Amino acid sequence: MTSSTQALQAQGMGEALPKKHILLLLVAAALILGVGLGVQNPFLLNLSGYTCAFALFALSVNIMLGGVGEVPLGHSLFFGVGAYAAAISMNLLGLPFEIGVLLGMAVAAVLAVLIGFLTLKLTGAYFSIVSWGLSGVALVVAHNLEFAGGALGLFGFSRLAVGPFDLTNPRSYFLTTAVALLLVLVLLWYVRASRFGRALESIRQGRHLAQSLGINVFRERLKALVLSAPVAALGGALCVPYLQIVNPEILSVLRTVDALLAVLIGGTGLLFGPVIGSAIFTILPQFLNMDANVKVLVFSLLIIFVMMVAPGGLHQLFGNVVSRLLDMQKKKREAGA
Amino acid sequence: MELFIQTIINGLILGAGYALVAVGLTVIFGTLHIVNFAHGAFFTLGAYGVLLLQRMGLGYLAAIPLSVVAVALVAYGLELTIVRRALYDRGEHGSIIITFALSQAIVAAIVLLVGPDPLPVKSPFGQMALSVGGFFLSAQRVFIAVTAVVVLAGFALWIQRSVKGQQIVAVSQNAKGALYSGINVPRIRSMSFLLGVSAAGLAGALLAPLISAFPTMGDSNVIVAFTVVILGGLGSIAGAMVGALVVGLSNALFETYVSVSWTPALGWILVVLVLLFMPRGLMGRTEINRH
Repeated sequence: MTSSTQALQAQGMGEALPKKHILLLLVAAALILGVGLGVQNPFLLNLSGYTCAFALFALSVNIMLGGVGEVPLGHSLFFGVGAYAAAISMNLLGLPFEIGVLLGMAVAAVLAVLIGFLTLKLTGAYFSIVSWGLSGVALVVAHNLEFAGGALGLFGFSRLAVGPFDLTNPRSYFLTTAVALLLVLVLLWYVRASRFGRALESIRQGRHLAQSLGINVFRERLKALVLSAPVAALGGALCVPYLQIVNPEILSVLRTVDALLAVLIGGTGLLFGPVIGSAIFTILPQFLNMDANVKVLVFSLLIIFVMMVAPGGLHQLFGNVVSRLLDMQKKKREAGA
Repeated sequence: MELFIQTIINGLILGAGYALVAVGLTVIFGTLHIVNFAHGAFFTLGAYGVLLLQRMGLGYLAAIPLSVVAVALVAYGLELTIVRRALYDRGEHGSIIITFALSQAIVAAIVLLVGPDPLPVKSPFGQMALSVGGFFLSAQRVFIAVTAVVVLAGFALWIQRSVKGQQIVAVSQNAKGALYSGINVPRIRSMSFLLGVSAAGLAGALLAPLISAFPTMGDSNVIVAFTVVILGGLGSIAGAMVGALVVGLSNALFETYVSVSWTPALGWILVVLVLLFMPRGLMGRTEINRH
């Protein structure tokens, strides 16, 4: 190990536990407890729980979009695997929900290794098309699987609970998903500050330069996919208590598009971005009483707008507006002087 | 043996329809260097154009060209407002997301305006069947194949002989070089975009009587078009035509001899296989990004 990497690592260690982050963690925990115990409306609690589960999927998509720099159109494959694994374990194998969730995450990770080996050599539109293609294959497979309910899917789950926490109860559903989300966020924060996270960032900025510096580009990209797949599967499984049904729809590319919308609205650069985006994306339409198609139309146009004006997310737009206002003030002052 | 020949004929006719969609996609890729994920939405627009014009009392044959013009107009509006500003000379990343979002928006708009259910499109060839040497051919399919072949042949001739056509080739080969030799590159790009999506619209208008009009009809077609274009080599017009016949044949053979319910997966599997093992395709010259 050279002295320069030692210095980098020392820097990483120093960053690992400053007071600011402990404070942030406490604020997040307080927020979860506040919402979880303070909100009385069961519908709202249920929706917040779903938001947290969906945010897990958005985070997973952002590992690919913001981390690797690819558009994983077929990421709903892993999301669907998580949901299907939980449903199949409960209804067909008689296993508890928790085991189903873990099974789903394991299957997703194994699939990610296989898929990654095949597809991560491709980049850009080619990667997106193959990714979309694989989720399309999964969709047809799900339609044709008799034991998994075919087009109707699986429903009527007997016991949706994690340990003593009953997930059909809105309050404990929200608390469980929120804690899962917080744990994944902490994990991702550590990963981002790690050597692997930095390698990934350098690959995203310049693949060939990173390669020339001795970073194994293919292996780091594979690691990122294998990290993101179980997170998506966890999100998919935790969506089951809210959706109450698992059918082939969950594998559709539209689910990925939903997550992409959430990620882009919140911003790809921030760790919290996808979470904020998911909250906007799932809660706002409910309050505006939006029809599903109006929602797709509005959010698709929003995504085009965001991509054209502020590719880094909505907060970038606010940043731009603020800096422009400041500029104007400065000019006025200069003109006045 | 008869079944086999009938299957081959069906496959070739199917392939001619695919070629229209695929050639549009490949022209757009060649000159704009974007993969147009919104291509299927323009296919859908073409079909709904015919449907709406028929409701206004027009005949099918008159509705086809008008519908293509309508698609071109919509495309021109989108080109001016979005495509021109957001996609040219931007990263691939952005163009994938924007064209995909565009297709979602168009499909959602169609659902809101016309409704989600499949609607039948009438055609004068609807119930007719031709019998050639003991083989039955639906007149609509023959009409599709003939129109596709005529349009594609005309397009190929136009590309080869006309000044504008040669300028398209020049831009797709080397945009900077074309700019330096005085070609109006932005205009050629806009034109290729309009031509490309109009071809998709025409294919939608032609296929609508067979599969009826429904909002997500473009999805499966754009996937087939991706397969065709990648198989033929992105950016190669001749490759797209050959690729379309190969894919049309394999689809027909698979449907007849293997399974109907698994046929939708065939397109997807072909895309994956072609990209993994033949990323340059049959006639591709574009260097694919690999590392």
